[in-house]
Amino acid sequence: MPITAAADRPDTRPVDPITLEIIRQLLQAIPDEVETDLTRTAFSPLIYEYKDYAVGMVDAEGRLITQSRGGIPIFLANVLGLAVLDGIALYGRNGIKPGDVIITNHAGTLGQHLNNVVMYAPVTDPKNRSRIIAFMAILAHWTDVGGRYVGSSASNDTTELFQEGIQFRSVKLRNAGEPVPEIYRMIQYNTRFPEMVLGDVEAQLAGCLKGAALFEDIAAKFGAGVVLDAISTMWAQSEAVARQAVRSIPDGEYKAASFLDDDGIDLDRRIECPVTVRVEGERFVVDFSEISEQVRGPFNSGRYGGGITAARIAFKYLTTPGELTNEGSFAPLEVILPDGKFLSASDTAPMARYSTPISTVVDTIIRAMATAVPDRVAGGHHASMGSHRFQGISPHTGRLFSHLDTAHGGWGGSQGRDGSGPFKTLAHGDTLDVPVEVQEALYPLQVDYFGFRADSCGAGKFRGGVGLDKAYTIQHAVKLTLTFERHGCPPWGLLGGADGMPGYVEIQRKGDEPKKYLKATDIPLGAGDRVFIHTGGGGGYGDPLERDPELVAADVRKGFVTHAAALEDYGVVLDAGFNIDVAKTNARRGAAK
Amino acid sequence: MLIIAIDTGGTFTDLTAYDAATGQVAYTKSLTTYDNLANGVFDCAQKAGLELGKGDVFKHGTTLVVNSLIQRDGARAALIATKGFRDILEMARGNRPDPFDLYYRRHPALIGRDMRFELVERTSGRGEALAEPQFSEVASLAAELSRLGVEAVAVSFLNSYLSPRHEEMVAAWLKDLLPGVFVTRSTELSREWYEFERTATVAANAYVGPQMSGYVHHLDQRLADGGFRGKFFMMGSNGGVLGVKQALAAPIALVESGPVGGSIGAAAYAQALGIDNAIAFDMGGTTAKCALVQAGRFDVKSVYYVGGYARGFPIRGAVIDIVEVGAGGGSIAWLDEQKRLYVGPRSAGSTPGPVSYGRGGTEPTVTDANLVLGRMDPEGFLGGGMSLDLLGARRAIQEGLALPLGYTGPDGAQRMADGMIAIASVAMAGAIKRITVEKGLDPRDYCLFAFGGGGPLHAFQIARELYIPLVIVPPEPGNFSALGMLLANMKVDQSTTFVRALDQAALEEAAKLLEGMREKMTATLRADVPHGALSFEYFAEIRYRGQVHSVRTPLDAAASPQDIRRSFERIYRARYGHADSKNPVEIVSLSVSGYGTMDRPALEDLAPNRSASGSPTVRTRQVYFAEAGETVATSVFKREELPTGFSAQGPALIEEYGSTTVIGPRDRFEIGRLGEIRISLDIKN
Repeated sequence: MPITAAADRPDTRPVDPITLEIIRQLLQAIPDEVETDLTRTAFSPLIYEYKDYAVGMVDAEGRLITQSRGGIPIFLANVLGLAVLDGIALYGRNGIKPGDVIITNHAGTLGQHLNNVVMYAPVTDPKNRSRIIAFMAILAHWTDVGGRYVGSSASNDTTELFQEGIQFRSVKLRNAGEPVPEIYRMIQYNTRFPEMVLGDVEAQLAGCLKGAALFEDIAAKFGAGVVLDAISTMWAQSEAVARQAVRSIPDGEYKAASFLDDDGIDLDRRIECPVTVRVEGERFVVDFSEISEQVRGPFNSGRYGGGITAARIAFKYLTTPGELTNEGSFAPLEVILPDGKFLSASDTAPMARYSTPISTVVDTIIRAMATAVPDRVAGGHHASMGSHRFQGISPHTGRLFSHLDTAHGGWGGSQGRDGSGPFKTLAHGDTLDVPVEVQEALYPLQVDYFGFRADSCGAGKFRGGVGLDKAYTIQHAVKLTLTFERHGCPPWGLLGGADGMPGYVEIQRKGDEPKKYLKATDIPLGAGDRVFIHTGGGGGYGDPLERDPELVAADVRKGFVTHAAALEDYGVVLDAGFNIDVAKTNARRGAAK
Repeated sequence: MLIIAIDTGGTFTDLTAYDAATGQVAYTKSLTTYDNLANGVFDCAQKAGLELGKGDVFKHGTTLVVNSLIQRDGARAALIATKGFRDILEMARGNRPDPFDLYYRRHPALIGRDMRFELVERTSGRGEALAEPQFSEVASLAAELSRLGVEAVAVSFLNSYLSPRHEEMVAAWLKDLLPGVFVTRSTELSREWYEFERTATVAANAYVGPQMSGYVHHLDQRLADGGFRGKFFMMGSNGGVLGVKQALAAPIALVESGPVGGSIGAAAYAQALGIDNAIAFDMGGTTAKCALVQAGRFDVKSVYYVGGYARGFPIRGAVIDIVEVGAGGGSIAWLDEQKRLYVGPRSAGSTPGPVSYGRGGTEPTVTDANLVLGRMDPEGFLGGGMSLDLLGARRAIQEGLALPLGYTGPDGAQRMADGMIAIASVAMAGAIKRITVEKGLDPRDYCLFAFGGGGPLHAFQIARELYIPLVIVPPEPGNFSALGMLLANMKVDQSTTFVRALDQAALEEAAKLLEGMREKMTATLRADVPHGALSFEYFAEIRYRGQVHSVRTPLDAAASPQDIRRSFERIYRARYGHADSKNPVEIVSLSVSGYGTMDRPALEDLAPNRSASGSPTVRTRQVYFAEAGETVATSVFKREELPTGFSAQGPALIEEYGSTTVIGPRDRFEIGRLGEIRISLDIKN
């Protein structure tokens, strides 16, 4: 179903600029406030720490009014609007009434794994309660929706969507204000963590109802017509900002390629990801025609959850990072994506790990733009979700636990700046890691060390950010599921910079040699076994031989770069006290040029 | 009894002193002296003509700590961490609050990697010692630190929140081995889990420790030289003062000492006036701040971000819960390329300042808007000490904003100025909603206490926005922070992680822990408050099992698990709109607040109208009010001339040094018994 890109409503009446600004502030405060409540009342760390949710409002046509700022970027494809449109298509415009609350996780609509459930409630015109003017919508990652593995999406080898949980395609959780007990029972008996999921459903529901009420307060104060006119004006303004940003990029065709290691099943077949970007005036066209077809394993996504999302995230990083997102934000963006690719997979393709490829696709689009806008790009980042999920029965509580942690690593160097980090991927945002003290208190794990990984940063005039090393000693039987990526195609350097080191995992069973892993599901581990997590560093930017030797010396003193790498990669000769031998350094750099 | 309170702020240092013998109150102000902050303090004391020898209590608030952390001019500090964990301070939590910024980075760690060291020691996640620290390793580390010229050392070990013994051992050794070096450990500042937050706190404490010691000793010496023999207190971020000894050990507890004074003042006045529910609203030059005051107490939060959440670092410890927005008198109104209108967060500050200051400012500010609307007197600013350029302000608003947005005609600049203030008011009302509505509280049940230079100018409008029926402007709104400090009691806070299901056994264990905490706090309080009454309040952070965020719930010694659960659910339901009576509930942490009552002035002695008699002089000025849609003739009073009981219908302005109070056309004001201005709003709901 197409989402209208053009924000113009021909019948929009002009809104007084002061009133417009006041309405803008009040509207934006709604998802921000609801988001705060959601993170404080959620039962799942995936919501309160990982921020795997999106909170926003769409109008009666499913067009995005505004979205909260704290959720992770992966929900930019207006999944909220898509969900609402599916509900309207199934129930008909007269089939959705005030007081209804609808949920959907239909993969054919959202194109994401089944844990992502959108819930929405209608907002009515206070002057005419039967008229729906908008919807308050929240997408939240439910901890478990059944399927083959604990957590539903903790899979590397499912081959059909049906192994990944239950689908609720646009069903009513509330009917005219009354809870629908049948749906609650369906939810309760299709999850391994009913207490947690039903708690999160309550938090999500409270947020939808509160947001709708807050929206109605604004409509009552200014009149629904004025608020809708203000919204159209906001769209037009955002569209103009985006178009202007695209005009500042030189016209041309820009290409870059990358690949993912495998689909978890066919371990020797890469997932190819070549992209072409064409910029013509105000048009920014992302062409995915050459990427791999749909894959057997769970690394697929639907058109909106996949290709459109990745293109939108990249577009935002490159053009309008500070703008709030609404229906006008992506007007200049066009995506060419034939059906049946891994980013436009069929409705029943396995999608448990739909988000894993997104950060690499985004990074590749940014890479393509390096020659066009060298001051708006950065070297590749570690780009690996690097999820490591431990699950088992807690020896202290006797209850099933599932502990998900993901990698944070180095980001790429850029014009004038070393790469930053350690952060999660660029498809994450305000995602917090789980403190070691919390892990050790709640799970049968001990962390032996956690710190920077020397030499993982790609060399460059501006080097990449530094990756991390972490080691666990297992205290009691657990199962471990790993999804690491970007080993064969490490975080690239740009404009003469070197690649960063890729991330991977080693497992050392008691008495054995360490063994390397990237993707594996439900590896049984026992007390005394050790797990070593290595996360990738960022790619460098510019020729390393042009890096200020003082900066290289400082990196060596701090242990981010070793003496050997200073010599080999940067041509900087240091003594044991980290002093630069200027003559030898000049000679070595001169010879290397 | 002579009590002196001095507040060193960003621009000015303010003094308030009260002599109980004469009932006299002195207020003085001088410029903050950044090269040596103590000079500004003594300038103020000199201006007030104080005899320090007669002083009994000296209370001092300073921005030294937060400035040092933001400007990064603190000590050469080192960190000692558990083997394998020295990078915790720099790795932080891996999050990026600005989601689409490819170049996002945090402010650098306070202690760089080359100054972070590791030591073999380990406590397990259940509190058992797995490896003991060795003296020999600490001794060689100390030698290395000494060679590096380290001035401060922070010790932070993993899981020390469960057992601080290793930290205590190592810190004690280091103090012996490194005389003159400031040594601090994480568990003396926080007994809560989350290693990054605790380590960031102790690193910051080390970073500011030596500077703070130097400053306090210098001040102490100069006070002694001036003959002062009384007690010296520092203003803490938790809403009370603390003794010098505590301030020297935990200078980080002073991080937010600036804005606290106003909240204390608001609490004292609210209590004296019999008002249980108040909102302290402080609007200055660059920001507006608000805090909730209930039954004379304010909320504290346990994490505060130095430099803001987006890029700064956290501090664990009790910090008064103040919400701040970038809306102040100096906030600039501007248009982006799409002609979208913004007010703030950029501020013209005091230099160049608003256009009307005539110091080179060209962008229109909130102060300029107030002037154009007639709310401020161009000749009456700072008691007539400075005249304001009305024409310049009008021109800047006209040309920079009104014409581009299509507000033409003779009243275009006024409509625009009114719009600027309306937008700033929405932002300020939004901040108040965050401390009320978002906690399930209804602002209509509250009274708005407005102070700071801008609070009394804007309060009536914000109150209307939120349907608040009563606004109170206390005496000396422009000096209210130092005045509040004069009224502060001593306060200590302590909390400890305690994760247990809420049941009888847990409550019994908690009672023992709390009793131990209370005993320690009693000793601390008694050392500095030998005679005043002591009181204690107990809280538990409680949540549904599985959640991470918790709700602060008061604990009562006699309460059963069921009683506590009921009060938890009541707060939870009010805040979030739902609660579950079946889900298991657990305690996450326990905390105690201890208060030591100190002597303070009678509020009657602080009334600004003590010499008012007879009928006040009234002038008239044309002032624009949005409710009227035009300028209306408005009465202008001088505050010190208005006797208690005086009342009048708005529109009106009440002028005094440092502030002007605006009363809207539909509202009425009265002067209360403590000299406070009470504005009753005609609220139609």
